[in-house]
Amino acid sequence: MDTTYKTLAWDFRPPIVSITQNRPRVSNRVNLLMAMELRHLFQHLHEDECGARVAIITGRGRAFSVGREPISFGKGASRSHTSSEWLELHRAASTLAGAGMPVIAALNGDAIDHGLELALACDLRISARGVALGSTDLSQGIVPWDGGTQRLPRLVGKTLALEMLLTVRLLDAEEAHRVGLVNAVVEPDALARSSEKMALEIASGAPIATRYARETVLKGMDMTLEQGLRLEADLSILLQSTADRAEGLRSFLERREPEFRGE
Amino acid sequence: MGGFQTITYSVAGGIAYVALNRPHVLNAYNVEMRDELYQALEAVRDDNEVSIGVLRGEGRAFCVGADLTEFGTAPSQIVARDVRWERDIWGMFLSISKPLIASIHGYCLGSGVEIALLCDIRIASDDTVFGMPEVSLGMIPAAGGTQTLPRTIGISRALEMLLVRNRFGASEALGLGLVTRVVERGGLVAETEATARRFVSMNRGAVRAVKAAVWQGADLPLDSALDLETRLALRSMATREN
Repeated sequence: MDTTYKTLAWDFRPPIVSITQNRPRVSNRVNLLMAMELRHLFQHLHEDECGARVAIITGRGRAFSVGREPISFGKGASRSHTSSEWLELHRAASTLAGAGMPVIAALNGDAIDHGLELALACDLRISARGVALGSTDLSQGIVPWDGGTQRLPRLVGKTLALEMLLTVRLLDAEEAHRVGLVNAVVEPDALARSSEKMALEIASGAPIATRYARETVLKGMDMTLEQGLRLEADLSILLQSTADRAEGLRSFLERREPEFRGE
Repeated sequence: MGGFQTITYSVAGGIAYVALNRPHVLNAYNVEMRDELYQALEAVRDDNEVSIGVLRGEGRAFCVGADLTEFGTAPSQIVARDVRWERDIWGMFLSISKPLIASIHGYCLGSGVEIALLCDIRIASDDTVFGMPEVSLGMIPAAGGTQTLPRTIGISRALEMLLVRNRFGASEALGLGLVTRVVERGGLVAETEATARRFVSMNRGAVRAVKAAVWQGADLPLDSALDLETRLALRSMATREN
């Protein structure tokens, strides 16, 4: 795969895709090109059927991402777009949420504003010690629009989400861990290793079961409990038709590591 | 109630004790246990002497999950799906209006975690090991865990527990919100009983109303949930006066 990008560095060492936001001079602020390149990359991974199982996204330099470049309506290309179309083009977090594989945010530095929204859209977050997370959008008269107002309360509860958004309160990594916003806090020099270890653990699971577990949790949380239980039952029974489930059972009874083929 | 092979059931002082009782396999859950558990839960639900149910495990573990030696015996997915809903043991848990306490020790894995999540209160001894190994076996949880886990500990922590198959101990479970209290192993029985007793002394209708309001309300838009709360509160007041 020779797809190269201006705003992102990435490499694929099966089964893990590592993505690095690569605009360190502007603290990895999201711009139109980055949003488009991220979308293109995941589309490419999907169509290529290369066996990517887990993605890790991090930032080059001192920040994960501290926001977005100001969007100026009425200039250049934006003349041909409505405001909502323009926002749609910038939705980088939605791309991560719809990635079709688990995505881990490896927070090497601060995740602020749009950077926080990117982190929130991932399945799991590992943070380096000393990182700050939060949204200052409101103090600039901006309403978060890439999922922040919805994903933040779903992760940390309404009260803390409102406090963070309305009073522009940043959390440090330890507090973010306590409230469930990040899954783990590690020393900065251990971040790459820890996130790769987590990715490999995820990738060691049966591929179809991994997808279904994610689907039942994420879709089920938008359903009533009863509907969610129906979805879980149907998908778990559908998995009975997979060779990997038979292999999983055999390997358990034979006390060895399973060899999953995604079938 | 007697004659059970895979569980024990006893009632004392308004508390029904349901113990998983296959200690030689660390209380691995099998079809026979499902059927006996179903009967025991019916008794918890229907016996007027019972105010509260306690789930626990005999021997060295609460429950290590499904007995995998019995898996793969269903003739087809069509039959498996019919069977799932013919005897809906997990729905039976959810249909019980009395409070349920899971008293957890030793190992609590897979459907062991899911059984605990179908209870209202989880107390664990400090030696407990928790984990959800399903995905590493090519499955997903099928006793409600994909739904009850994120509703209990949040989406992100639930995904971590399901996809990153690390086992963890009681203090981490407490930090995650998976259990509400951790005690020393020697004090688990006493702590469980003391907690259960507090419920026995409360107004039974009020306890049921609170349980219903919280579980059912969680699935409703706030306006409808507040209406539900009002209805349950009024009904509870009316029955208290009589």
